[in-house]
Amino acid sequence: MIDLEKLRDLARETISRDDVKYLIGWKPGTHGFRISPHFVSNPEETAELIFSPLCSNNLATYLTLTEKRPVPRGEQPDTRKVALMVKGCDSRAVLQQLTEQGITKDSVYVIGCPCEGVIDIKKVEGKYPGILDQVEARWENGKISLYLPSGKVEMARDDIVAEKCLTCRYPNPVIADVSLREEVEVKGNNTFDDVKKMEAKSTQEKWAFWQGKFNSCIRCYACRNVCPMCYCEECILDKTNPTWIQRSVNISENTSFQLARAFHLAGRCVECGECERVCPVNIPLSHLNRKLVKEVMDKFGFEPGVDPEAKPLLVGYRPNDKEDFIL
Amino acid sequence: MSENFEPNVVAFLCNWCSYAGADLAGTSRTEYPPNLNVIRVMCSGRVNPMFVVNALQQGADGILISGCHPGDCHYMEGNFFARRRFALMKELLDFVGVDQRRFNMSWVSASEGAKWKDVVGKVVHSLKEAGPFEEFPRNKIDW
Repeated sequence: MIDLEKLRDLARETISRDDVKYLIGWKPGTHGFRISPHFVSNPEETAELIFSPLCSNNLATYLTLTEKRPVPRGEQPDTRKVALMVKGCDSRAVLQQLTEQGITKDSVYVIGCPCEGVIDIKKVEGKYPGILDQVEARWENGKISLYLPSGKVEMARDDIVAEKCLTCRYPNPVIADVSLREEVEVKGNNTFDDVKKMEAKSTQEKWAFWQGKFNSCIRCYACRNVCPMCYCEECILDKTNPTWIQRSVNISENTSFQLARAFHLAGRCVECGECERVCPVNIPLSHLNRKLVKEVMDKFGFEPGVDPEAKPLLVGYRPNDKEDFIL
Repeated sequence: MSENFEPNVVAFLCNWCSYAGADLAGTSRTEYPPNLNVIRVMCSGRVNPMFVVNALQQGADGILISGCHPGDCHYMEGNFFARRRFALMKELLDFVGVDQRRFNMSWVSASEGAKWKDVVGKVVHSLKEAGPFEEFPRNKIDW
């Protein structure tokens, strides 16, 4: 149960601070189960803020996605912080960006929101399609209640939460300047059963599976845009010289794109599952990412976005790294 | 796959060890399979994982990356970075269903002409078994 008044008070307090520029939180979206990001720059706007099981958006991506306008001559740049509401997985993204020095510690003020698992919108829209009114959702006694126009429905957590929440080891933010509520119980454990199942298949079966998935990719790059870790100023996907990946939408270029995207997240992916959530053609992208998460853990004992002192994986090495694959 | 399939192997050799090693194999008149297309790079750490993907797209049946032995890198640590990177890349390629035999990595020093022969022999032999790469090559346009 989340006390929304407490949340809004906290937001009002935060936005009134001298060193905070604006606050990024969640608000109800346009219809049904949709949620929008909410940019709060004055105390009145905090009235719309919410935090509910529907808030699956990872807001950490807006830290680097926001437009950086040139500073007019004679003016000082605004060095105030951005306040950001984070769930456990989002906080890992913030921490990973900090260790990569994509953002600096004094540019962000983190409001931690311990989370009991967020709803997978594809699952819930499949169950209750065509709802136009805004739906409210709450965590209640370990279950998730939906307040639909037709009445209240209680659902078991594991039936309705996103896949990432079933394996989540960090429901409590790993980094937070202030916390919304007390810590919640860790329910998930990461055994990588789905990845192992895939690994056990033969090469032909694996390719047959991925070929079907990659063939349907329309190269909208939504997965890249939503990813909190994809914040390069120049992306290889946009570059034409050299043309790493051609523009044509066919199996060759699509596979190349998917491999590049997955590999660029090697040792960086924090498993927030945003890429999979926004994919319009339902490619199981987090499956690819989780394979690399597993390998990074097995081979190098590294987990991104957990240790503030850690160096990013691929910019370091250990002389005794495993080399069983070398001829 | 046909009996006399000759795989097309793209080899990225580091300037300081493997390229010299391959050169030694040549000047020593060692016979080894002629399926390699060698690309000389300054260091195995120079090889971008996208080189591998692009080579496969552009008609390679297999990849061989070769550099100095760990600790012998001309740039002190380049091959250590390469090792981490390609350990993951190999797993990723395998996971999407590219035959494991298509991606190979080895350490060959400038004095190891004989080892170079063995490595190339092994790679070409395994690629002959794996057959041509048909998963995601670019469509060739015959102008």
